[in-house]
Amino acid sequence: MKFAHNFIKDMKVSFKTFYIYIEILMALIFVAILLFVVPENFSSDINMYAHIDSSLQSNEIVEALESDNSSNIILLDSMDEIKYMLEEDRNSIGISISMVDQKILYNVILQGYESQKYRNIIEKSLIAEGIKDLPEYGSNTNIVTLASSSERLSDRLNMLPIFLLLNSAFTGLFIVATYIFMDKEEGTIRAFAVTPAKVWEYLLSKMGVMLVTGLLTGLITTLLVAGLKANYLHLIALLIATNLFGTSIGLFISSFYDSIMKAMGAILVTFMTLAFATTSYFMPSFNPIIIRILPSYPMAFAFREVFLENPDIAYIYSNVAGFTVLAALFFLWSNHRFKKTLTV
Amino acid sequence: MIKVENLFYSYTKDSKYAVDDVNFEVAKGEAFGFLGPSGAGKSTTQGILTGLLPMQDGLAEVAGYNMKNPSRKMFNKLGVSFEQSNVYGKLTALENLEFYRKLFDVETIEPNVLLEIVGLSHVANKKASTFSKGMKHRLTFARSMLNKPELWFLDEPTTGLDPAIANQIKDVIKEKSKEGSTIFLTTHNMFIADELCDRVGFIIDGVLKLIDSPRNLKLKYGQKLVDIEYKDGNEIKKDSFSLIKEEERLKLNHIINNYEIELMHTKEATLEEIFIKVTGRGLV
Repeated sequence: MKFAHNFIKDMKVSFKTFYIYIEILMALIFVAILLFVVPENFSSDINMYAHIDSSLQSNEIVEALESDNSSNIILLDSMDEIKYMLEEDRNSIGISISMVDQKILYNVILQGYESQKYRNIIEKSLIAEGIKDLPEYGSNTNIVTLASSSERLSDRLNMLPIFLLLNSAFTGLFIVATYIFMDKEEGTIRAFAVTPAKVWEYLLSKMGVMLVTGLLTGLITTLLVAGLKANYLHLIALLIATNLFGTSIGLFISSFYDSIMKAMGAILVTFMTLAFATTSYFMPSFNPIIIRILPSYPMAFAFREVFLENPDIAYIYSNVAGFTVLAALFFLWSNHRFKKTLTV
Repeated sequence: MIKVENLFYSYTKDSKYAVDDVNFEVAKGEAFGFLGPSGAGKSTTQGILTGLLPMQDGLAEVAGYNMKNPSRKMFNKLGVSFEQSNVYGKLTALENLEFYRKLFDVETIEPNVLLEIVGLSHVANKKASTFSKGMKHRLTFARSMLNKPELWFLDEPTTGLDPAIANQIKDVIKEKSKEGSTIFLTTHNMFIADELCDRVGFIIDGVLKLIDSPRNLKLKYGQKLVDIEYKDGNEIKKDSFSLIKEEERLKLNHIINNYEIELMHTKEATLEEIFIKVTGRGLV
């Protein structure tokens, strides 16, 4: 019961401070950016500005170029015009085809930021186009996809798991320390310490407030961005487990310090380290062991599963179970430490 | 109610003791004053006795509980009023008391009654952050009475209060003392200690120099003096005479019989003067 009284009081206090409103505002800003700035899917089409020497049969060449539908062909009259257009349109390349000494000369004009790999691909593609015209040429390419049933999220939805990870799951990592040090500064923690209530009741109440905040921001964001394209049962289970884990880490770090200023360095380093997992999330081919061992790595992919039509339920709930157990362990450890340091 | 034996405490965990081999006992129903200047070790001792600071060395028993490993239940018997007011600024006075009230397992006093006692009933529903320093202090004081404490720790209960409110607070303390509450009063204000305490202890640099009742201390260390102002012709003269020394008593008699007396009053030694005499240091 004392926990309940603590929780109600903490909820009252948190709604009278601005942290919870900042969290909700952040969620709404994120929703607005996703809905009104970020397209459903990013377009990978690029413009190709081409100049074909008048001595060549330009219709056939244009047809050949247009057969590659990854770019829009725009014919121009000179090389200078290509250079001008490339400066105006940074998502484009240029090509100039001319006849010199009875040989076709291809000049590819790039922006300069392209990697060597990309340049090599362009060069090899041009050669391959030439080879195709040889009479003995025969295509022998066979593409095999290993994960044939893999689903792909829209680019907009694909960003949601990272927001849920950083803003909803790790809400408590930052803010629980703020609440505890606010109590220390006000001295109310000392007043609490001379009542029969227990330290775990105080800490669990703070976790409860963080959980409500995390669930609130997570559900608002998901509802507004994904609508019904999410499994809310899995989402709530994941949000609870990951939020408890994030807050328990925040409590644990706070137990080593006596002021928010001193604690902030360690909290920031922890948060930044956990955020590294987002690089592997957006570039799945980059997943060194140092990133895979971060708790945020499986969390991000578990959140992704929530939005798939056929989610890997075993993966989601192994994360839920794992992070709930870890949260409990860190909570007990924090409680043990706070018993000695809460009022010192 | 309190038993302290060979108590040591060091913030730096070395031989620089903030509390250095302190021994004393406080009986049930007694009002005990802990007197000393800032940094003498008063608040550290109170911190250990209220469980806010961990025990390092020695023995401390409070309300029958060993402070090495006190039970949370002990706090049902204790009330603590802090020197620095510590209330939730975002909550109203009433909400503050209602919240803390629910943390106790024993019968508690109605928050409205307490607010009436400390003169805050007219601002019961105002946020504590809008209160003056004195009002916050009174709210902190009121909170310490919630559980009708058997043992009441009061740290500078009247500091920063205007005289009328301070008198009101002193009256409450006197009444609770009469009702049988044990009081552990920490202060550097000797007038409060003199007025409220059955016994006082002088602490300085962590060392408890002596313990006795204010009356015994005055008898032991004080001088009975009479200050006098009288007219000698057109001139006003001032003098001070001991009532113990025969020679000075005769001089005083002579003045009374032969001169026009303007002012005359007896002067006992104050606790502060005794403190300076015993410790060689002031109370501020």
